[in-house]
Amino acid sequence: MPAIQVKNLTKTFQTRHKAAGLTASVRALFRPQVSAVEAVRGISFEMEAGELLGFIGPNGAGKSTTIKILTGILFPTSGEASVLGYTPWRQRRQLAYHIGTVFGQRPQLWYHLPAIDTLTLFGKIYELDDRQTKRRIAELAEAFEIQDLLETPVRKLSLGQRMRCEVAASLLHKPKLLLLDEPSIGLDVVAKQHIRDAIREMAARENVGVLLTSHDAGDLEALCKRVIILHHGQIVYQDKVSTLKRSFLTSKLVEVRYAQQVAPDFEIAGTETLKIARERYGVKLRFDTRRTPVESVLARLTEAGDVVDITISDPPLEEVIAAIYAQAERNA
Amino acid sequence: MKKYLAILKINLLNSLAYPAELLTRALVIVLFMWIFFQLWRVTFAAAGTEAIHGLTLRDTMWYLLLAETLELGRPRLARLISQQVKDGSIAYLLNKPYHFLFYQLASGLGDSLPRMGMLFLLGGVVVWALAGPPPAIAHWPPAFLALAGAWLLHFCFNALIGLAAFLAEEVAPFEWIYQKMVFILGGMLIPLDFYPAWLQTVCRSLPFAYMMYGPARLFVRPETTVFVQTLLGQILWLAVLGGGLALAFGSGMRRLAINGG
Repeated sequence: MPAIQVKNLTKTFQTRHKAAGLTASVRALFRPQVSAVEAVRGISFEMEAGELLGFIGPNGAGKSTTIKILTGILFPTSGEASVLGYTPWRQRRQLAYHIGTVFGQRPQLWYHLPAIDTLTLFGKIYELDDRQTKRRIAELAEAFEIQDLLETPVRKLSLGQRMRCEVAASLLHKPKLLLLDEPSIGLDVVAKQHIRDAIREMAARENVGVLLTSHDAGDLEALCKRVIILHHGQIVYQDKVSTLKRSFLTSKLVEVRYAQQVAPDFEIAGTETLKIARERYGVKLRFDTRRTPVESVLARLTEAGDVVDITISDPPLEEVIAAIYAQAERNA
Repeated sequence: MKKYLAILKINLLNSLAYPAELLTRALVIVLFMWIFFQLWRVTFAAAGTEAIHGLTLRDTMWYLLLAETLELGRPRLARLISQQVKDGSIAYLLNKPYHFLFYQLASGLGDSLPRMGMLFLLGGVVVWALAGPPPAIAHWPPAFLALAGAWLLHFCFNALIGLAAFLAEEVAPFEWIYQKMVFILGGMLIPLDFYPAWLQTVCRSLPFAYMMYGPARLFVRPETTVFVQTLLGQILWLAVLGGGLALAFGSGMRRLAINGG
């Protein structure tokens, strides 16, 4: 049985709005202007037990709304959904015993207290006995490397440390499904890597399904096998991450800074030069990884001069989504 | 039940995390009690009697202390729930296996108990110094029982207003009206005994008197009729408001619109 089954799910929010000015305000008192915002527009998908599924899309695409419906917090306007055999909005509390959630922008740990207090509280809320809770906290502390952080008030932790504690807390009751809403938001590269590794390991070890929303293509590459891309509340792409990478994430951006000035006719074979900042000794290049391997570009860049600094990045996800969306519209 | 005790406990820990802040916030009662004392001393002097409608100056001050302790120490739940809806943090409160309202009850109690304790202690010292010793120990149990009932009624009212945030964007106006009702019809500023008889009858048929006047009056003048009347009134209004709350929560959940992505 799939862990999640969603069929034609829609969610429409009613929002009041009024024009600027006093007259409009008075008018709005008697005849409020209400408009409907369709946050989710008829999406359908399935997710297998133990699967790592990525949910991406720009702001306002409907990712968080979908997650909130799947946890039972929001009622959908229409459509069906089943999560681990439960209808979330009708069986919210029964479902809660089997799922874990992390909303990256909303901490669930008690801010002024050490994380261990929240973890102990969760043990009680999920009805574990004290011995089980203790054992589980030790297990998670090891997996997320937070042994030394548990006794520190949460407000004194760095964002990366706090997020590791957050994810650990969401796994306390051994959920079968983990819903992560932007878990890596605001983290630096090392902290992101750290948290991704821990999530991947725990998911594999305990066969936890992970549904992850993110802005960051790196999260998908590191964690997910399959991806769903949402745009304006609709699914515009649904396939394996490897396929996505092959067809869309094919170019890389490279920024290099040299120790000496760059020649005005600077060029590296197989790459497109986007910008040369001569006074700052810098260059910006783009290349297609299908035609030019990363190693060869790096080799040529170092041959061209003494490299002081180098950054390689994926094109922004918005660009990829725009391309996919454009393609979806062409296909339609 | 255990989980709600754990929720109460963590809230207790949280409010005790900054004892200095707890103390400073409670200091406001010192000022209030001093002002009340000046006000009522003049009133009693002008009336030229020891007792007005059976209450002495000392009674009035201890009455006001209990009322103020409840008013300043009760959780600001309406504001809290509306804040949780606005900033989206309610998502974490609704996806755990407990009843949302019992969660709020336990957490409100954990937050309120240390605050009320501190207010009563500080205010008590001031009132004792200005107006005389507290009522006899025998008065305390019925008063504190009624205080628990009053606290629960405040909880129901506040939660109802807070749930309005599931639908309306701003609940502050509702809260303002409720608070003023408690001030005037609940006998928070003036003991109801000082009102004309017809107004007292009106007040007794509304819930507000059981949320302030009942416990405060029992503290200074514990009469069996007042005790029975207060408890019955509280039970009746708790049934009405509690039932309304359960219905409102069910229908509110269907309409909940959470802000923030």
